[in-house]
Amino acid sequence: MLQYLVILLDDTSVAYCHAENPLKGRNLIPLETLKKAILFGMKENLMIQYVYPDYELPEEYNEVIESIDHVKIGRDVAVYNEVPKSIATENVVLRLSIADFIAKQYDIAALLPQVTRLNICLTDIESFKDDQVEDYKKALATLNAVLLNLYKSGKQPQLNILTDRLQLKEMHNCGAGDSNITLAPNGKFYLCPAFYYDEKMGISNRLNHHKPSSERSVGDLEAGLQIPNPQLLKLDHAPLCRICDAYHCNRCIWLNQKMTWDNNTPSHQQCVLAHLERNAARDLLLKLKEMGLLAGEEIKQIDYLDPFDVREQF
Amino acid sequence: MRKIITFIVTKDCQLACKYCYLVGKNTNERMSFETAKQAINYILGNENLFPNESVAFEFIGGEPFLEIDLIDKICDYIKKELYRLNHRWFNDYVFGFTTNGLNYGSEKIQRFIEKNKSHLNIGITIDGTKKKHDLNRVYKNSGKGSYDDVVKNIPLYVTQFQQANTKVTISSADIPYITESVLHLYELGIHTIHINCVFENVWKDGDDILFESQLVQLADAIIDNDLYKNHECSFFNEKIGKPLDPVLRNNNWCGSGKMLSIDAAGNFYPCTRFAQYSLRDKEAWIIGNIHDGIDKNKLRPFLTLDRCTQSTPECINCEVAEGCAWCQGENFDAAKTHTVFERATAICKMHKARVRANNYYWNKLYRKLEMEGKREEFEANKQDIKPEIC
Repeated sequence: MLQYLVILLDDTSVAYCHAENPLKGRNLIPLETLKKAILFGMKENLMIQYVYPDYELPEEYNEVIESIDHVKIGRDVAVYNEVPKSIATENVVLRLSIADFIAKQYDIAALLPQVTRLNICLTDIESFKDDQVEDYKKALATLNAVLLNLYKSGKQPQLNILTDRLQLKEMHNCGAGDSNITLAPNGKFYLCPAFYYDEKMGISNRLNHHKPSSERSVGDLEAGLQIPNPQLLKLDHAPLCRICDAYHCNRCIWLNQKMTWDNNTPSHQQCVLAHLERNAARDLLLKLKEMGLLAGEEIKQIDYLDPFDVREQF
Repeated sequence: MRKIITFIVTKDCQLACKYCYLVGKNTNERMSFETAKQAINYILGNENLFPNESVAFEFIGGEPFLEIDLIDKICDYIKKELYRLNHRWFNDYVFGFTTNGLNYGSEKIQRFIEKNKSHLNIGITIDGTKKKHDLNRVYKNSGKGSYDDVVKNIPLYVTQFQQANTKVTISSADIPYITESVLHLYELGIHTIHINCVFENVWKDGDDILFESQLVQLADAIIDNDLYKNHECSFFNEKIGKPLDPVLRNNNWCGSGKMLSIDAAGNFYPCTRFAQYSLRDKEAWIIGNIHDGIDKNKLRPFLTLDRCTQSTPECINCEVAEGCAWCQGENFDAAKTHTVFERATAICKMHKARVRANNYYWNKLYRKLEMEGKREEFEANKQDIKPEIC
């Protein structure tokens, strides 16, 4: 069920997830389009998430933006592409390469006492190699140790890749095209910002490549949402994910499309990273339970990192 | 399960069959021996990726026998390497061909057959009567039918291969000729006929009714003339036309992804149907190449496919689902998005017509056997023939 409407206020809106935003030229969403988008969100009962560019918007935009409940990504939620020395808000997205995440694990650990929520977003999942597994595990263990101490002192900061799994009893993924949809400044809907950027760059030609680029969006504000094969964006149509218990995994369909060429099939890399995090969350949970600090549901011990290796075969 | 490895040795063919799904045939793309050799080296050098106990090396075109010199060289190299590596496949390999049969009697091909006979599986495609065959299977330059040039090779073929078989493809225009064509092939000595309707969306209103009527006629002819005793036609199968349990019978029909195809450029595909020359609306699904090997991520969708995930609720709940086939390549080509998880259903009404005729066939046959007091004997001796899977 659709719950969120992500509105890219400008072509240069901040990238806040796995995909980069390669667009350099400003292209502010027309005010009328923004008003229509808000109206759409109100009628469909959607929570609005505005994605900001790095410049100040004209005053008339601010009035419209404030006309509905919302979250401001790039403002209320601060987005960084390197580990900051100080942070502007307590709700932070940190976009890093895997190598940087590993190298900067202690700097990241130092951020944890300062945040209420830290979302780590890896920007090069596609290049993750199996020989990075041990280093990634060690970095997660470092963060686990800091989290444990914070819990002991009564603080419970959220770190998406470790603490989300503690609370979840079922899959809670990105939900692009299913629980959320993105509106670009051109007034068209996209499964997520990454699909908009890709269209602009013309690198997503494999998706509906036989149609003109203008038709590769999934509807617009006039015609409404027109998602082809919407069932393939849902968990029950993802054979690997529906048997998986790395419940916190983003299950990024843009990465799926990019790496396996099918929206509903995750890559080996995405699965392994999610399972390393899941297993680290298990370690954290065991310790928290031992100390009586948390009473989460047990996370089972498993002997695989990729559910593909233990899938049911016919 | 036998691993099927297909070499697309040429995209050229003497014919331009009207129903051919290979939309991109050409005379330029011929495989070099060096490419084939590198592919073989990769396959035999990575046993962990190919754990199957046995193997079928298939050669496909276009018309594969146009490249008989190359094929002979490839087969020699495979045999030599299997022996040199003490590979388990040395004890269980076949070379497979589906040919238009035009060059079958030539000296080069006969020499190749003689040399490899105990490891060969050859199917000659002949569609039935001259009228039916020439309706579709025509020369690319003249448009002339090819029946006469194929049928002259059939006597030699059936004497060389006891399991002589042919693959017959039915499109809309072929329906009126099904009965006479199957009976004609039986008369030619081909006792096993693999026959199927094309998966593409070619069917017209009323085709299913006509199809059913043809199959009922064929059923009458087979049963009334006792042909059922030693002839096979894949349209009639006792297993088909039943509901399928969504949990216990959730397997994919198509074998794409479990096979490997290699083209002249050295690219790997999950099956030949994903190479560019067989796709109308999508780009080729290349899963690797002879230099870099297989990109396993590109295979994951194929190896996680199951029946229900790709099917509509109507298909999942269908009362006659058993035996309803699909081609993953056609599914992909016809899909609204870039996916192998959207099942094309153009064949639906033809399958239902087949099921009705199939029910008629078995009801009629069992009644006849009952009346003749032979039913028990028939049931005791009948082979468990599963619906054919791609």
